[in-house]
Amino acid sequence: MSVSVSDQLIAVLPRMRRFARGLTGSAVEADDLVQAACERALTRAHQFQEGTRFDSWMFRIVQTIWIDQLRARDTRREEAEDEGVHLGTDEPGRRVEARLALEEVRNALQDLPPEQRAALMLVTVDGLSYKEAAEIAGVPVGTIMSRLARARVALQARLEAGGSLRRSTEDVKADG
Amino acid sequence: MSKPTDERLIAYLDGELGDDERAQIAHWLEQDADLRERAGELSESAALLRAAFDEVLREPVPERLMAAAHGPAAAGATLVDLAAAREQRAKPRTRERRWWVAPAAAAAIAGLIVGIGISRSVLPEQPAATNVTPAPSFVENLGGYYVHYTNADTSEGTSFDKLPPNFRVPDLKPWGLEFRGARFLMAEGHEAMQLLYSTDNKALGPVMVFVGNFSDGDRGVKFSTSGNVNVLSWRSHGHTYAITGTVNTNYLWNIHNDLAYQFDGI
Repeated sequence: MSVSVSDQLIAVLPRMRRFARGLTGSAVEADDLVQAACERALTRAHQFQEGTRFDSWMFRIVQTIWIDQLRARDTRREEAEDEGVHLGTDEPGRRVEARLALEEVRNALQDLPPEQRAALMLVTVDGLSYKEAAEIAGVPVGTIMSRLARARVALQARLEAGGSLRRSTEDVKADG
Repeated sequence: MSKPTDERLIAYLDGELGDDERAQIAHWLEQDADLRERAGELSESAALLRAAFDEVLREPVPERLMAAAHGPAAAGATLVDLAAAREQRAKPRTRERRWWVAPAAAAAIAGLIVGIGISRSVLPEQPAATNVTPAPSFVENLGGYYVHYTNADTSEGTSFDKLPPNFRVPDLKPWGLEFRGARFLMAEGHEAMQLLYSTDNKALGPVMVFVGNFSDGDRGVKFSTSGNVNVLSWRSHGHTYAITGTVNTNYLWNIHNDLAYQFDGI
């Protein structure tokens, strides 16, 4: 018995939200993007090929809509809504430091070109293979490989400059 | 082979190279301290990137996305008009605090997320007993178990099984739930267990987690109800999982996300 598109959508929603969050850098924009992707998937369910990966199909839809939005939208970003970064006042200092480090990572990601951001989110964050990421992005595997390398090196440089790596390491050691 | 470039080193770290090149880079790493340091830095930044976004997996999924996934025909669907929503957001507004982010992020960065250790010693693989009639609706019957074991009249007398010393219980404290005890049982001819979590919050009520050592193949989440008890079940990696509770399905769904994440850590 095949699982319905809705059931598969529900199962992949958290990963879609994470992917979209990385692409857009905004919790609200990400959820808008995921909602649009769900709506498109349901109207085009007949296009999904049984036997292929549903999550890859959804990631491709998310990325396609996002690219369309980037092209259509004025480059001026809507005011960022950093809903995911509020800090509880009762957080221990070390935890606050850790959150700042994570926020710095998210900001550093947003400094990267869109295609590098997408490659990082698909491979480094979601754990897809280069081949799967290449299929989603519609580019050769070698392109994904070079995008990833440029992205990882640039991210590394930004985090070193911002001190995130040092802080995160100290934090993990302190917790361990 | 010349010294690996960052691109090849990253592909090595990502497990994307063939045997020959992997061996060559491994050899280089043994010989070259600078390269080892570089590999360590790249691994660390990748781990930090994952931690920065993993908290999203633990966030409650907004109802509007659940409605979108069910489609406009779903009963009670509350789809949001995206264009209207963007327009609304363009207006100044008071920022809301998201209380649930802090513990989730802290857990992510500090590696505190506790995976359940369902080892073979706890739930050994067993063939289905031939003289046991399968109960295909076992998971749906969990609503009855829930009522029995959370009923104040009977639950006081409920005896819980002793867990192995190395057994790690899924942590549902971010959801206001305290682990109370576990029971081992047979379900559909296989070993299974139920974990009971309780809370002082009457609006939330106790939650029972079921883990069965059987599966007919991976399946996404399925919702069902038994009386006023909601049952959310799924199958993954040879196990059947379910969460039961009287709290609404959206809350159970979010607990499911957390649990699935923790179970994946096995």
